[in-house]
Amino acid sequence: MGSASGVQAVKKGSGAIRVRDGLLGSVMNIILALFSLMCIFPLVWMLYSSVKTKREFNTSVISLPSKPTIENYIKIFANKDANLIGAMGNSMRTTLLSVFLIVAFSFIVGYILSRVSFRLNRPLYVMFLMGMLIPVHSLLVPTYIIFNRTNMANQWYTLLFPYVAFNLPVAIFLVEGYVKGIPPELEEAASIDGCSFNRTLFSIILPVCRPILITIAIISAFSCWNEFSFALVLISNNKAITTVPLALKNFTGQFSSDYPKMMAAMLITMAPIVLLYFIFSKQIIKGMVAGAVKG
Amino acid sequence: MLNTIKPRGRVIFAYLFLPVALFVFTVFVPLVAALYYGFTDWKGGPVKNFSGLANYAQLFKDEVFWHSFGNNLYLVAACIIGQIGIAFILVMLINSKLVKLKSIHRTFGFFPSTISALCVGFVWKMIYDQRTGLINWFLVDVLHKYKGMKDAPIWLNGEALPIMLILSIPLIWQYIGYYMVIILSAFSSIDTSVLESAEIDGANGLQRALYIVFPLIKNTLFVCVTLCVAGNMKAFDSIYAMTEGGPGTSSMVMALYGYNQSFKSSNLGYGSTISVAIFVLSLAVIGGSQFLLNTYMTDDYDKEEKRIQRKREKEARAAMKKRMKGGRI
Repeated sequence: MGSASGVQAVKKGSGAIRVRDGLLGSVMNIILALFSLMCIFPLVWMLYSSVKTKREFNTSVISLPSKPTIENYIKIFANKDANLIGAMGNSMRTTLLSVFLIVAFSFIVGYILSRVSFRLNRPLYVMFLMGMLIPVHSLLVPTYIIFNRTNMANQWYTLLFPYVAFNLPVAIFLVEGYVKGIPPELEEAASIDGCSFNRTLFSIILPVCRPILITIAIISAFSCWNEFSFALVLISNNKAITTVPLALKNFTGQFSSDYPKMMAAMLITMAPIVLLYFIFSKQIIKGMVAGAVKG
Repeated sequence: MLNTIKPRGRVIFAYLFLPVALFVFTVFVPLVAALYYGFTDWKGGPVKNFSGLANYAQLFKDEVFWHSFGNNLYLVAACIIGQIGIAFILVMLINSKLVKLKSIHRTFGFFPSTISALCVGFVWKMIYDQRTGLINWFLVDVLHKYKGMKDAPIWLNGEALPIMLILSIPLIWQYIGYYMVIILSAFSSIDTSVLESAEIDGANGLQRALYIVFPLIKNTLFVCVTLCVAGNMKAFDSIYAMTEGGPGTSSMVMALYGYNQSFKSSNLGYGSTISVAIFVLSLAVIGGSQFLLNTYMTDDYDKEEKRIQRKREKEARAAMKKRMKGGRI
């Protein structure tokens, strides 16, 4: 640390350097502020434009609303055809169930692959590793064929299959890596105390794995809520079970010229994600980055 | 030995059956099905003839498909340069002692990557709009480059600028913050004394970035490149939202083309062939990028480090196995 304070002392000593640093610092701050503004501005723009009327929006794109109105929101909630609220319920159910299954499956499979030796351990490991490499969009058409043939398309549970399967490999490897870091003495001690395998799994290992399971829940919740292409292919023939992105697509087809209304609709569907993000941003950022890098 | 907690085979089977069955059914069965249906002329109806390699012959001559593949590669290149390049520069800026409000930049910057790509596509469609878009508002009302909105460019027809460039901007925008946070976390693991001593030795900001930070976080940058390649080979949602591959087929990407062939022209046989091609080509591009990174961007030091790490992992695995054979876990 001595060297650092030395540098600081030199800097403070010279007025010219201080001016240069001040200039450089303000340039850097301005660049970053512009970047942040660019990232967040579309959201702000949508927020205040969604309370404008279509006419006001078309005459001036950027100005703040002169007479804020929630007419757009009322119309969307009243619109039975678009059924945005129903879609949110569907998305919520699909997301919650998928997340639960992903967390449960990845915990069990990840733990077993990491700690239990049996003949199929290595082949299963390789299979899930391959699952991580498979470009999922090449499965778009074939899954449709298979699900249609088995009459499993357009059901309330249809989307659970792709959502769980595609998020499972990364989740398994996160758990597997995490379990590797748990000292085996923990389970040995449990075993000495007469703990059964099931008991060890759920009363000893599960609490220890909590942080990584939360990370997995976060990553998969976002990806399930936002997923569009498989919903488009697998459940678009059953209006009663549309998820949010699908409903949004139908909605924009209907109101393609009414931008304030579209913005209102998008904001409604984004609301859960945005709220969740701004409340838990630290954990969410950490979790998603961990998932990306380790996966 | 003491009480063993090594579970019986039956228990393992019971635990693993559901997840493995679900995974195989959703991932591997469709893959095999695609291989099979790719050799037929199935249109979704009762008629299904085995047509041999006809679909594959058609695929090789299909200009739209190869154009879509090119567009995917274009997106990959644009996003590697745009996302990772800009993210690296932003990380260098954000780590300076002179910058304030770091956590706000991180929170706001990361925000777009949490939104669905479909939403991002719709939002940018509005931003690009000729009459009521933000870009044309800026050009007309702020810079006064055009007399009115009517004279300003219709961005999404690809006349003012190449359509793929227009479409890659939202993609880049969405994930800059994401890569920024990944690189930032790698950066924070660098020993600060290294940077400080470089500063004392008179290295300026650019030199520190290129000769000290870059080599030290190279592995993370590789991960970013891989994520970028894999992510853009499956581009679908935002392009579907903005142009649906248009005008004509100029902004078509592989996944969208497979979708259109299968469901708009209900050509499921050919759609399966395209799916097989997407599978092979994506793996080839991802593998190729890995190969390029490993041959041209790593030196002997990295290789040695990797070798040692692999050896350590192997030893750890062997030790674990020995323990498990003891029947205690």
